[in-house]
Amino acid sequence: MEKEAILELRNIRKVFDKNVALDSVSFSLYPGEIHGLLGGNGAGKTTLMNVLYGLYRRDDGEINFHGQKLNIQGPRDAITHGIGMVHQHFLQIGNYTVLENIVLGTDVSHPVTMKLSAEAQKIVDLGNRFRLPVDPNAVVDTLPVGTRQKVEILKALYRGVEVLILDEPTTNLTPQEVDDLFESLRVIVNEGLSIVFITHKLREVLHVCDRITVLREGRNITSLTRAEASEEIFVRAMVGDQMEIEGSVYFSHGSMANTAADESAIPALEMHDVGLKTKEGISRLAGLNFQIRQGELFGVAGVAGNGQRELAECVTGVVIPTEGKILMKGQDVTGVSVCELLKDWISYIPEDRLHDGFLPKANVAQNLILGYHRQKPYCEGSIIKWDTVYDKVRGYIGEYKIKTNGPEDPGGNLSGGNIQRVMIARAFSMNSHLMVAHNPTRGLDIPSMDFVYNKMLERKETGASTLLISEDLDELLLICDRIAVLYRGQIVGILDRKDFDKYAIGRLMSGIQAEETADLRAAS
Amino acid sequence: MTIVRKLVPYLIAIIASFAAAGIFIALTGANVFQAYETILFTSFRTPNGFVQTLLKFIPLTLQALAFTIPLTAGKFNMGGEGQMIVGAIAASVVGILGADLPAVILLPLVVLAGVAAGAIWGFIPAWLLYKFNINEILTSMLLNFVSFQIIDLVATGSLRDPVAGHPTTVQIGQGGFLPMLINNPPLNTGLILALLVAAGVYLYTTRTTGGYELVATGANPRAASVFGINVKRMFVFSIVLAGAIAGLSGVIEVAGVQHRLIVGLQHNFLVLGVIIALISRGNNLAVPFVAFFIAILEIGASAMQRTMNVPIEMVFIVEALVLLFVLLSDVVRRR
Repeated sequence: MEKEAILELRNIRKVFDKNVALDSVSFSLYPGEIHGLLGGNGAGKTTLMNVLYGLYRRDDGEINFHGQKLNIQGPRDAITHGIGMVHQHFLQIGNYTVLENIVLGTDVSHPVTMKLSAEAQKIVDLGNRFRLPVDPNAVVDTLPVGTRQKVEILKALYRGVEVLILDEPTTNLTPQEVDDLFESLRVIVNEGLSIVFITHKLREVLHVCDRITVLREGRNITSLTRAEASEEIFVRAMVGDQMEIEGSVYFSHGSMANTAADESAIPALEMHDVGLKTKEGISRLAGLNFQIRQGELFGVAGVAGNGQRELAECVTGVVIPTEGKILMKGQDVTGVSVCELLKDWISYIPEDRLHDGFLPKANVAQNLILGYHRQKPYCEGSIIKWDTVYDKVRGYIGEYKIKTNGPEDPGGNLSGGNIQRVMIARAFSMNSHLMVAHNPTRGLDIPSMDFVYNKMLERKETGASTLLISEDLDELLLICDRIAVLYRGQIVGILDRKDFDKYAIGRLMSGIQAEETADLRAAS
Repeated sequence: MTIVRKLVPYLIAIIASFAAAGIFIALTGANVFQAYETILFTSFRTPNGFVQTLLKFIPLTLQALAFTIPLTAGKFNMGGEGQMIVGAIAASVVGILGADLPAVILLPLVVLAGVAAGAIWGFIPAWLLYKFNINEILTSMLLNFVSFQIIDLVATGSLRDPVAGHPTTVQIGQGGFLPMLINNPPLNTGLILALLVAAGVYLYTTRTTGGYELVATGANPRAASVFGINVKRMFVFSIVLAGAIAGLSGVIEVAGVQHRLIVGLQHNFLVLGVIIALISRGNNLAVPFVAFFIAILEIGASAMQRTMNVPIEMVFIVEALVLLFVLLSDVVRRR
């Protein structure tokens, strides 16, 4: 290499309890490059960068920065050395302005009067320079996610970092926003800064990164420049040998056969003007009208927080809609409780697995029968047949690859990905006409994601329907028959598979079309 | 093997707490070993000592269960004492007013009245929690003080026994007495009732769908409700059931032991019940065993006070230390 690495991590090791998160991982970063850090969930990408940023103390290994050994004590220390990190979940104060959020924790020129005009000017200049235009006086809460991310990047640039770490920056961005972000990143590295781009999305990495390092199960697998390698090589590096790539849904580029759903049969789900208002009268969902056919995989796209959770809970009966009617197979089920619906009507994978779906203080078996504990074969009368339950549960543990010591292992011992596997195993364990799955693959590695997709496609064969609500647009494009876009609690468009277009959906997700039609309506 | 491994921290906790309390006993000038010998072996030296221990064991087990059942659902019943007292009051009032009735009618009436009264006393905080989301710890605790006033009122009112020096009612009718297992030393069938209740609670929480819902509610009420369990109803049910069991402990005190209502019959049962429940870590199967151990300490401690002049409070120190060390062993294990 002709250039000298600006940053080198050598043989980093990090152990949590008995879990080796990083096993002698090395990583180097050259000035002016975008370096992709690629790997499935639990590969150790974020852990590695948290070690660099000083959030975790490393157990072994060394960090060289500008050729000098560095011992980072914490994030503040990292920033003074010129290393900044943008987390997946933004650390911002919602009711402060952009300006206030950015200068928070730095020295300002007028600490007594808090006249921040000089700082505001600096932010505007930075924004122009790096193509991150943001109004410094806007209140953060009012900004869309894409802009909030720009604020977060500006925050790091304002502190004069040389190395910028971005942790899964494209989560929750619309395709347009992703393109904008990539453009800014290019400008930033052209100015001589370096960027580490953490992601599990292969296509993004190939699109924007100069060099790519692949991690798997806490180990370095390979480091290659983009020009050197084909997609094949990275795929193989990410998933290892245990996965059949040929038959995989994940890597199929969405070319799977689209078996037509039965349009003549009674729809599995019909929503008639369904609306939901909070006690305070704030509207969460309004005028939802759509049908899910039998055997259809129906997707719902949208930026998080646009009513997805409320939609899932209305359909499953967890909350009762304040307006409208819900029909399943022609039968009115509005106001029917979850308890009843779980009896072969629906199955549910909630979004917030820790709060809404899991019993940390109960064991794995107790978790796997939650909601089905009053159904055969788990119980006989009011007696739970634990022998049968344990037999079944052992089967699920094997089939769904749940890493646990057995049915009696406390739930609290499971990792996030394994908890998600419990959610999935439970939802697939009983027959249902309609599965409501909300971000079902979050926290899963690629082979497990593939497994879930296959399971969902299998449902189609039997004529069972699925409502897949996901923040991962790629996932929806991959397997859904139709996609509806949810924006501010309303469906702003439903697209058939033949009309799938990432950018069209992106426009809908950011509400552009909705406002246009509203304008048209106002004009006419 | 696993059971042995589970017991080890308990044994260490017990030994450590005895060692620590030994320092205090030594400071009072008493012989530490003799004191501990008295505490540990009084229960087994004489038949009377053993029966006394069993009589202590009955209310302790029931009081502890009245705490662990709501705890399974994630709620705290701090009203075990009050529920016991109203149970005792109802049992004695029915027993005195119906004194002429034959045993086949009176005894079931006495038991039912006490259990129902305890359940109602549990229902009040449960309903306030259900309807208005008022913290059950506060309301159940405050109802104890209400029950103290009621027992004073009843024991000094028209049912008062004028010859007794202490506020006490007259005896309940013979028909309301619980049958005896042994006449001398006196051991009543309340023991069997308590064991049946303990076994029933254990089977209910581990084997039935209702018990499963109770456990799920305690493990994560939000997830339980998302998956169709009516958690608010589980809260109410668990506290009412706890009240009924605490009420039963009051019935046994009246119909089995004293045959009358005596002010102060609740002793320290609430605190001891909570200690037993917490040492058991809410495990209903462990409750009777821990309760028996605490009963041994209690009986031994009164003997120690009589024979060695070491204050009975010393045994509180031991009990508190056992709890502390058990809780500490949790923390140590997590490290």
